Amino acid sequence: MSLQKTRYPFYDVLQEKSHWDEHTREIVLKRLGPFTKYEFLNNYEVEILYAIAKLVVNEERQEILEYLVHQLDKNLASPIGENQRKVGVPEQKKLIRQGLLALNQGVRQQYGVNYVELGSPQQLAFLNDLQKGKATLSEEWQKFPQQDFFKKLAADLISAYYSHPVVWSEIGYGGPAYPRGYVRVEKGLTDPWEAKRDDRES
Amino acid sequence: MTGNPNSIKHNCDHYADHRLDNLHQRKYEKDADICIVGAGAAGGVLTDELSRAGFRVVTIEAGPFWDPQSDFASDELSMQSLAWNDTRLVAGKDPLTMGHNNSGRGVGGGTVHFTGVFLRFHESDFQVKTQDGLAADWPITYQDLAPYYDKIEKDIAVSGPKIFPWGSFHGPYPYPEREPISANSEVFRRGCEKLGIRSVVAPLAILSAPFAGRPPCINRGFCNQGCLPNAKFSTLIHHIPRAIAHGAEILSDCMVTHLNLDKTGALKSVTFVHDGKEYEQKAKAFILANYCIETPRLLLSSACPQFPDGLANSSGMVGKNLMTHTGHDVYCKFRDEIRLYKGTPVLATSQDFYETEPSRGFIRGYTLNAHGTRPVGLAKKLVTENNIWGKELYEIMRDFNFYAQITIVGEVLPDPGNSVTLSDEKDEYGLPRAVVTFSYGENDQKLVAHGVKKSQEILEAVGGEPAFVIPDTGHLMGTCPMGKDPTASVVDEFCRSHDIPNLYICSASVFVTSGGANPTETVMAIAARTADYIISEASK
Ligand SMILES: Cc1cc2nc3c(=O)[nH]c(=O)nc-3n(C[C@H](O)[C@H](O)[C@H](O)COP(=O)(O)OP(=O)(O)OC[C@H]3O[C@@H](n4cnc5c(N)ncnc54)[C@H](O)[C@@H]3O)c2cc1C
Ligand code: SF4
Repeated sequence: MSLQKTRYPFYDVLQEKSHWDEHTREIVLKRLGPFTKYEFLNNYEVEILYAIAKLVVNEERQEILEYLVHQLDKNLASPIGENQRKVGVPEQKKLIRQGLLALNQGVRQQYGVNYVELGSPQQLAFLNDLQKGKATLSEEWQKFPQQDFFKKLAADLISAYYSHPVVWSEIGYGGPAYPRGYVRVEKGLTDPWEAKRDDRES
Repeated sequence: MTGNPNSIKHNCDHYADHRLDNLHQRKYEKDADICIVGAGAAGGVLTDELSRAGFRVVTIEAGPFWDPQSDFASDELSMQSLAWNDTRLVAGKDPLTMGHNNSGRGVGGGTVHFTGVFLRFHESDFQVKTQDGLAADWPITYQDLAPYYDKIEKDIAVSGPKIFPWGSFHGPYPYPEREPISANSEVFRRGCEKLGIRSVVAPLAILSAPFAGRPPCINRGFCNQGCLPNAKFSTLIHHIPRAIAHGAEILSDCMVTHLNLDKTGALKSVTFVHDGKEYEQKAKAFILANYCIETPRLLLSSACPQFPDGLANSSGMVGKNLMTHTGHDVYCKFRDEIRLYKGTPVLATSQDFYETEPSRGFIRGYTLNAHGTRPVGLAKKLVTENNIWGKELYEIMRDFNFYAQITIVGEVLPDPGNSVTLSDEKDEYGLPRAVVTFSYGENDQKLVAHGVKKSQEILEAVGGEPAFVIPDTGHLMGTCPMGKDPTASVVDEFCRSHDIPNLYICSASVFVTSGGANPTETVMAIAARTADYIISEASK
């Protein structure tokens, strides 16, 4: 189910896929699945990540969350660098793996259950605390950079989310635009294939 | 390993009539005149100019020799591959975002995914110390670069207005200005008009009409993902193919890892790594054109008993005075759709706040660019810079089409505390990772506050409501400043190292101050001037 109320209920960017160049089409359609096996994440981590992703991007559709977690797995398994890392913060593979452990132990200590067993409001509250650097973590994680963990994880999940064509349709984003380009770029003008607002909406 | 994630196998040795996937038949293995490290903005110009003059030039580039048609895609996430993605450690009060934000990798360097805004510096940019009493003067003036600005604009057919109201160059540009402009640029210009602020259609290294077999821009808006139709200039499609025709050799996917000196203290060769194997390239002279982080990293990590503090570093200035531009993104929300994804990202500009104005309480100034964006870029910055996520983020993104954006390109004053140093952590080549330290100074912060306020006023004048400001940065400059005084600078006015006579450093790293405008035209003008100098020295 979608939590979202779109301004463009009649727009489906995937209808335009035959107008995209082949390389781009291949890249974008892969995001709809099916997905290959996880390379880095274990089942326990995948389960927590679904629960986190759901709140970080405000989304309930399993097939979209599945892409997000797979994309994160791909990033973590990849040998490509992470652009920048703050001095003192562990490497991303370690940061995410340790962060998920720290989060679950923190929740267990506070509520006596695993993170995934918590109700959504408590899950959300815990993520909010992490983002602010105020989550209560167990003894061994006192020095863990919880804000950096949250930021890294959220940035990866959010980047994947806004790369999903279903989400593009909902926000009225035109997606890939080669070889066609745009002809009508001035204010108030749209090309015939672009998203059109629902007239009934104010 | 940093290879191309699409795992397309690229050739690695390129010269006239040869595209090889191995290094067994190198053209200039033994008898190169000039070896250039990095095939970006400066490296592309240097390779082209020097090979045309008859030098045997070999240019070594860490990243792939891209093929736009098969390597580029109309997609934000996958085109992160155009960036220098290797991990840099960041520190300071305002740690920089690296990667796609400021560093390219592959033939073309940063020009492959840059936005194409093509501006000259002003006369005052070269004399900040004389005029404002702070920072430093350049050893060159605007007049020294003027003929090279002219030449480069003509060579790549820069499009721009008939009349450009600021600085010393007032147009016309070689190619007509772009039209139509996007909705975002339109509201920017109308807002400026209401407030009596002058604005123009931006000068761009993007074609407004066919040129050299390339088509004009089709407004797809993916300049930061690489231009598929080749309407945007890059040294990948413009300078490098021409240089190859003149006789140059390009070694791609080859990472230079060490600079080797001979007994006299001259540079003898560079070591580079391809596919895990080490090779050597000898030459008579060398030019490091590998940008503001990798140049100091290479100079510092090549330290030897003769030069324990790193090469070309008798001044102690290698790695110092790293600068960026304040790239704050100012967003306002409108009742009507703007659709920031459409059209070339920047199509309108104002430099009305460029020069020092004492009443503002800070020195120097900034350029304002009406700036498009795309969903991943915006949403990611909202979480990393503004801590917005979850429901709140979705609510903003749902209205993605209703926002307009102005980006500030503000001058950042040089500060020796902002630097590139070496960490204890090693990368896959066994080289120490760079530590990139950056904090804004007081002047920078006042400038940002002024620019944010002005930007909001402009959009409010046409019905926009201030929504959020993302504290972004853009571009890198400095770390090997040019100067007359060998105790306070790394290279002379022609980019020749004060310490090692056959070593040049030529890229944005030689900037003395940052200016308040997008820097690449100045990078290329400096490179063209250095090439002229090398050619004239050789004929003596
Ligand atoms: C997203 C973005 C938008 C931009 N928009 C604009 C704009 O609109 N206008 C503007 O003026 N500027 C813009 N810029 C800035 C512009 O890209 C840079 O100013 C310019 O590319 C700098 O040129 P350079 O020659 O100094 O370095 P680069 O172009 O970065 O070239 C350096 C090259 O050296 C290579 N290299 C590094 N180390 C090694 C090594 N050890 N061995 C071999 N090769 C190596 C790199 O791979 C790279 O190809 C933008 C940049 C980005 C990232
Ligand atoms: S907007 Fe124009 S210049 Fe930019 S990538 Fe698209 S076609 Fe190329």
